[in-house]
Amino acid sequence: MASSLSLSSHTVASLFPSHTSKPQLSLSKSIPILTKSSQSQFHGLKFSHSSSLSIPRFSTFKTSISAKVNKGAVPPAFTLKDQDGKTVSLSKFKGKPVVVYFYPADETPGCTKQACAFRDSYEKFKKAGAEVIGISVDSAESHKNFAKKYRLPFTLLSDEGNKVRKEWGVPSDLFGTLPGRQTYVLDKKGVVQLIYNNQFQPEKHIDETLKILQSL
Amino acid sequence: MSILKQHRCPSRSLTHIPTSPRLHLVARLTCSATTTTTKPKSSQNQLVIEPRLETKPDSITPIIPSVGPPLSNDPSLQSTWSHRAWVASGCTTLFFSLAKTVTGAADTHMWFEPIVAGYVGYVLADLLSGVYHWGIDNYGDATTPIFGSQIEGFQGHHKWPWTITRRQFANNLHALARSITLTVLPIEILCNDPVIQGFVTVCAGCIMFSQQFHAWSHGTKSRLPPLVVALQDAGVLVSRSQHSAHHRPPYNSNYCIVSGVCNEFLDKNKVFEALEMIIFFKLEVRPRSWSEPGAEWIEEMDEAQSQVTVH
Repeated sequence: MASSLSLSSHTVASLFPSHTSKPQLSLSKSIPILTKSSQSQFHGLKFSHSSSLSIPRFSTFKTSISAKVNKGAVPPAFTLKDQDGKTVSLSKFKGKPVVVYFYPADETPGCTKQACAFRDSYEKFKKAGAEVIGISVDSAESHKNFAKKYRLPFTLLSDEGNKVRKEWGVPSDLFGTLPGRQTYVLDKKGVVQLIYNNQFQPEKHIDETLKILQSL
Repeated sequence: MSILKQHRCPSRSLTHIPTSPRLHLVARLTCSATTTTTKPKSSQNQLVIEPRLETKPDSITPIIPSVGPPLSNDPSLQSTWSHRAWVASGCTTLFFSLAKTVTGAADTHMWFEPIVAGYVGYVLADLLSGVYHWGIDNYGDATTPIFGSQIEGFQGHHKWPWTITRRQFANNLHALARSITLTVLPIEILCNDPVIQGFVTVCAGCIMFSQQFHAWSHGTKSRLPPLVVALQDAGVLVSRSQHSAHHRPPYNSNYCIVSGVCNEFLDKNKVFEALEMIIFFKLEVRPRSWSEPGAEWIEEMDEAQSQVTVH
C-alpha cells in the first residue's frame, strides 16, 4: 500500500498560478479578477483566460489589482538607484531590448536562484542586445552585497517604498503577503512585449524572456 | 549512495564532509614535574638547595572533543521511570480510544466511516509531523520558551543523526506520549462518536510513535526487523532513503516522518518555501535553511557508518 498524494497539475496550478501575457483570447479557467488577456502557465501546462470580469473557478491567491502595465503599452518611466548608488533611468536603455524583472527580496532562495539563472544566461541576453534589470525594495547596499556575493553582472535597482512596483501594477501573491515575481520584456521602442509571472519557478523567467527576445 | 573520505586518527575516524568544518584532533602531552634537592655543594658555611624541574612526556593522550555525540551508555539516551510512565499512559490512552472506536462502530454498525477517518488521521499525522519538524528545524533556538529543549535536540540530531537509534524506546517517545495523553484523554472522555474517535486514535497513535518511525528510518536494513523494512519499502512508514534526503544540505525537504506520504506534495509545491517567505516578509525572520549550515548542523559520521552509506 504505497499511497502517495499526487494531485493533478491542474489543481496544483491553481495554488500558485503563473501568467504570461500573450495577445490571444480563449476559454476561461481560474483567473485573477481584472487581469487582462493572459495565459497562465504552470509546469508547462497552459491555461488561457479572458480579460472580462469572471468569477474565479478556484480561490485565487493573487491580489485583485488592475494591471497598469499591459502588453503593448509603454510602461511608466522610473529613476532609481543601482547597487553602486548611481541613479539609473529606464529611458537610458531606449534603443535596445530591456528585461525588467521584479523580485521579492535579495538573499531569499527563489530570488537567488533567479538572479543566478540570469547571470548564467547573461551572455545570451548580451547576444540578443538586451539589458537585464532587477528591481526589489531592498536598499542599494543590500543590492551591492547580493550582486557581489553571487557575481551578478547586471543592474539591480532599489525601489524604495515599492513605488515603481505599484505604478507598474505588479501583483502580489498569496493574498498580498508576498511581493510578486514578474518579468517584463520591453522592445527597442520601450513597448512591453511580454509579461511573465511565476513566484515559485524563478528559473522559468529566463527561459521565457530568452524565447521572446529571439523574436524581437 | 555517498562515498565519504575517511581520515585516520588515533581515537576515532572522521569523515570529511567537504563543505563542513572539520573536528581537528590535537595530541596533548601529559607532563609530570618533579622536584629534587641536590646535594649541597660542599662549602664551608653555605647550604644551597636547587630545585630541579623535570619535564617528561609519559603518554600522548588522544583528544576527546569537548562537544561530542552522546555515547551508547550516556544517561541522556537511557529511559527513566518517568519516561516509561508517560509512554505507558500514552499507550493506555490510545488503547482505550481504540476500544471506544471499535465498540462505537459495532454499536452503530458503522465500520467504513471510522476506517476512512482513521486513514485521514494517518495522513494528517504525517502532515503535522512535517509542519512541526519544519518549524523546529528552522526557527528558534535553545532559549526559546517551551520548545527550546526540543529545538536543541533537533539540532543535535542533525549533527549526530545516528544517535537516535541508540535512544531507548521510552526516552525517545516520552515527550510525545505526554502530549498525546493530555490531548486525547479529554476527547476520549467527552466524545462518543466512533468516526471522531477513529480519526483521533490513528492520528494520535501515529504522532506518538512518529519518533520510533523516525528512529527506524535512521536504522540500517540489516539491523531492522523484517516487518519494519517491509513497511518502509511499502511506503507505510517513512523510508530510510526518503528521510536521508532530509539530512543532506540544505536540509529543507522531506520533513514528514510518519509515512512520508505528504513529502512529495509539500516539496514539489514548495509549501514550506512559501510559508518561509510569508514569515520572512511579515515577521522579518529568516529560516535557518536559507543560510549556509553552521558547524552545529553539519553531520558528523558515526565510526560504524563512516565508510560508505548505502540507501
